[in-house]
Amino acid sequence: MSENNEHNGEHGHDDGHHVNYFKIYLLLLVLFIISVVGPEVGEFTGLRWITLITAFGIAVVKARLVVNNFMHLAWEKRIMKWMLASSVLLMFLMVAGISPDVMNHEGNNWENVAAKAEVERGLAYAAGYSSDEAEDEGEAEVVVAAGFSAATSYGQICATCHGAAGAGDGIAGAALDPPPANFTDPAFWADPARDRDRVITVIRDGAVAVGGSALMAPWGALYTEEQLEQVADYVMSFRPDA
Amino acid sequence: MAHARPIATTRSATGIPTPRLAVWWILASEVVIFGGLLGVYIMHRIGHPEWAEAASHTQTWIGAINTFVLLTSSFTCVLAHQAAEKGNGKEAAKLLGFTILGALMFLMIKSYEWTTEIIAGYTITANTFWSFYYTAAGLHALHVIAGAIIMGFIAVDAFRGRELHRVEIIGIYWHFVDVVWIFLFPLLYIAK
Repeated sequence: MSENNEHNGEHGHDDGHHVNYFKIYLLLLVLFIISVVGPEVGEFTGLRWITLITAFGIAVVKARLVVNNFMHLAWEKRIMKWMLASSVLLMFLMVAGISPDVMNHEGNNWENVAAKAEVERGLAYAAGYSSDEAEDEGEAEVVVAAGFSAATSYGQICATCHGAAGAGDGIAGAALDPPPANFTDPAFWADPARDRDRVITVIRDGAVAVGGSALMAPWGALYTEEQLEQVADYVMSFRPDA
Repeated sequence: MAHARPIATTRSATGIPTPRLAVWWILASEVVIFGGLLGVYIMHRIGHPEWAEAASHTQTWIGAINTFVLLTSSFTCVLAHQAAEKGNGKEAAKLLGFTILGALMFLMIKSYEWTTEIIAGYTITANTFWSFYYTAAGLHALHVIAGAIIMGFIAVDAFRGRELHRVEIIGIYWHFVDVVWIFLFPLLYIAK
């Protein structure tokens, strides 16, 4: 026993059992596949209980398999099981205690106005989203939607070269030749061809599309048409005369 | 070896070796930490039907691959324990190495996943669903990182044939991290 060097005379708990770990592992993989495929079936057939059982029921079974066979809790002293059980019990106690207040948004003498407003706002947004975007944009655009802000996106992507204030002084842009455009320079905007449509084209397809430098990469894959327009407007807001 | 150890680590009133007792205590408190967080998430999820829209943007396949990676790392970890029981420190160290590899793979996949989501605008402040998403998965990822680091130390010791009982201790912790993910996966990815 590995523990003998510090627990003399005391034998580990593993003496009496032999778990076939590989079998447990295979069983876990089978359950895992069911937990992925099941909810798809549930969604396809519209039967919500299939999703609930295959997703959460199976999770409990998997957790039990791991806890009993890999963590060897099944062979552990009883006091340990009680200890863990009391932790789980406390957790459920907390959930049971506060769930009426969290899950309901109104009661006999109270109303959670903020939560209700958030639900309403969220559902309206989701409804608008599904009718507008899902139809003409398809699956690929699904990732880009909630919480989009042109300023944030500019800060994360464009600012590395064009600078946070649009002055073309971003860290990654310092070594580029030609240097990144300076949106605060009146001379840059002096060319009448630099209108909103052209800015959108350059962001979407890269500067090469208008005969510019290949260093300005195409970013169209990141944005929906609407978001492209927002980013373009943000870029144009750096114009000195804007 | 025993003479160099504090008395507290050499006796056991419960009949359970002290290191194992200690790790079970840690896990008992972890149950309350993760359980509390996930319990609050579930309550809000039920109270806020509009979260379904936000949740539909999580990338199920990435979560599924990570579930597979963690399950497999748990398997190599329990095999490491088995090797340690047989006194084969080198084999145990090798298997712990595979487990650490699993942890690294998990973290790399998670980094990729979060990067695509953050670029798309789904940040921790986007709405309450995403706050829970990053908090729960982030807290879990911290446990993965901590476990991998500790496992590294234990693997080095095991390779030299020292402190083999610790392989079981880190294993118990690691399987718990796996169990937490077993629940996180359906909660964050499957329930749409």
